[in-house]
Amino acid sequence: MTPILSVQSLSVQFGALRAVNDVSFEARQGAITAVIGPNGAGKSSLFNLISGAIRPTAGSVRFDGVDVTAQPPHRLLASGLSRSFQITNLFFDLSVRENLRLAAQFLEQGRGLLRPVRHSATARRRVDELLEQFDLGGKADDLAGYLSHGEQRRLEIAVSLASRPRMLLLDEPTQGMSHSDTHETEALIRRLSRDHGLTILLVEHDVELVMNLSDHVVVMHQGQKLAEGRPAEVRANAAVQTAYFGEKT
Amino acid sequence: MSSPITTTAVAAAPAAHRAPARRLSAASWLAIVFFAGALLFGAVALALGDVFYLRLATEALIFGGLALSVDLLLGRVGLLPLGQALFFGLGAYVSALVLKHWTDSIWLALAVALVFSALAGLVGGLIAIRSKGVYFALISFGLAQVVSKLIYNTRELGASDGIIGVPAAAMAPGLGSGTPQVFFLLVLGLIGAFYLALRYLMDTPMGRQLDAIRINEHRVAFLGVDAWRYKLGAFVAAACIAGVSGALYPMLRGFVSPELMFFQVSGHAVINVIVGGTGTLIGPLYGSAILTGLRSVVGSFTAHHHIVIGVLFVVVVILMPRGLIGYATPVLQRWLDRRHHSAGDRT
Repeated sequence: MTPILSVQSLSVQFGALRAVNDVSFEARQGAITAVIGPNGAGKSSLFNLISGAIRPTAGSVRFDGVDVTAQPPHRLLASGLSRSFQITNLFFDLSVRENLRLAAQFLEQGRGLLRPVRHSATARRRVDELLEQFDLGGKADDLAGYLSHGEQRRLEIAVSLASRPRMLLLDEPTQGMSHSDTHETEALIRRLSRDHGLTILLVEHDVELVMNLSDHVVVMHQGQKLAEGRPAEVRANAAVQTAYFGEKT
Repeated sequence: MSSPITTTAVAAAPAAHRAPARRLSAASWLAIVFFAGALLFGAVALALGDVFYLRLATEALIFGGLALSVDLLLGRVGLLPLGQALFFGLGAYVSALVLKHWTDSIWLALAVALVFSALAGLVGGLIAIRSKGVYFALISFGLAQVVSKLIYNTRELGASDGIIGVPAAAMAPGLGSGTPQVFFLLVLGLIGAFYLALRYLMDTPMGRQLDAIRINEHRVAFLGVDAWRYKLGAFVAAACIAGVSGALYPMLRGFVSPELMFFQVSGHAVINVIVGGTGTLIGPLYGSAILTGLRSVVGSFTAHHHIVIGVLFVVVVILMPRGLIGYATPVLQRWLDRRHHSAGDRT
């Protein structure tokens, strides 16, 4: 399969700290790729580089054959690359429906921007779809700030998907979740990949989740890529054992 | 800063499912009361042969336009413009110059002022929009200071005296700013049009996006939106509203002076917005009407009217942090809903 996302020698330096140092990897279309690593390995920085939140000091990111290095987030989204946030980043003062509508508004661009929102049928259909798909229908008119943590995490992913991106970057999607919520999220990610053909790149702390879910795993350690491969290969890798799993015992 | 409109939008959503016919919301009623009240005021003034209070009301509406432009930025985009009088004053000067040296047409004067305000808004926006919070407020303040001092020191523009003896302007032959009743209606119509246009805009995806930018600007970029362009657009629109409102000023008073751009005018506009209700659009018009009236009425009894206004401002901010209309809207909405329900039970 062809890579849809290709990261080439990406580096970023904050002062003396090389948070990400010469990292290259590829994510295949339709696959679930995971980046794991212990705290401070540079996972989040790598994620922010790919999603345009910070600029790299060197290296490039190509999405679907186009160089998108250091492009602002709104351009990335327009080319089909969306992201969710680790710390839930919603419009807490607005209803669940309005959160989704704002995100789905992207689908209306150009045409319906100057007509009252009650006439934007495309966005409304997309919102109804997402409410159903993410099981938030019963909470549609509640303020996002009043949802439970698990519901907010679901809404966070739904908002990221509203524009129908081709690839989704998930930043620690199960962060702070209960055991059962984590399982639900795992099933949800699997469904998105299998039923909707969505390409997913996730950064995760939870090694078990990653091993169960991913087609391809990239292991980061001290800003560098330590290893990559199928989950089983990575698990068997000696360097990974000492650097990562070794710490756990 | 939370917006009362967003909460009413949330509250209104389920109601819209229940009732096929759209009922007037509390915000609409408050707007109707304002404009109907203004018309009634004009009729009473006409019947009593009053001109002083009619011209005062016209001035209140003109400053209401400035307050409306502040509300667009402060209440919607979340930017505090401490120098919005810059555009008001520019519009006033352009209008005065056009009327004095070129034509007596109100429409031409307004059109030229509109073009100038849009251009000035674009330049000012490109400078100010890059920054946020306190920095935006100070840049806005600084721009107004610089331009007002420039005009203050330009002899060709009348320097500190401003431009005096601006002739009366005409809408049509024989019908113009020389007739206070006619001019009052024109100003009321224009400010009403600004209000309606902004209310319409706020219900479009574009307007909702401004709300989203205020609530969580960081996230909108990741929803495919270039927040900077929206903010610049809002800034230019606010400059246009302020500029056209300012263009009406010399038609009413027959003069303009650099004081129109001073911080006092910008500050009063912000106070009118906060007392009336930030983000409510109609609130700033109420705020302007009430405070302009108070300043004049209290000012005729005592020179210390600033004390009275200041105390009132503090009391309103403490007791009603969302302003008069921000406080009244949900109260009225609940009452309307209750009445609607009990009417529904009886049938």
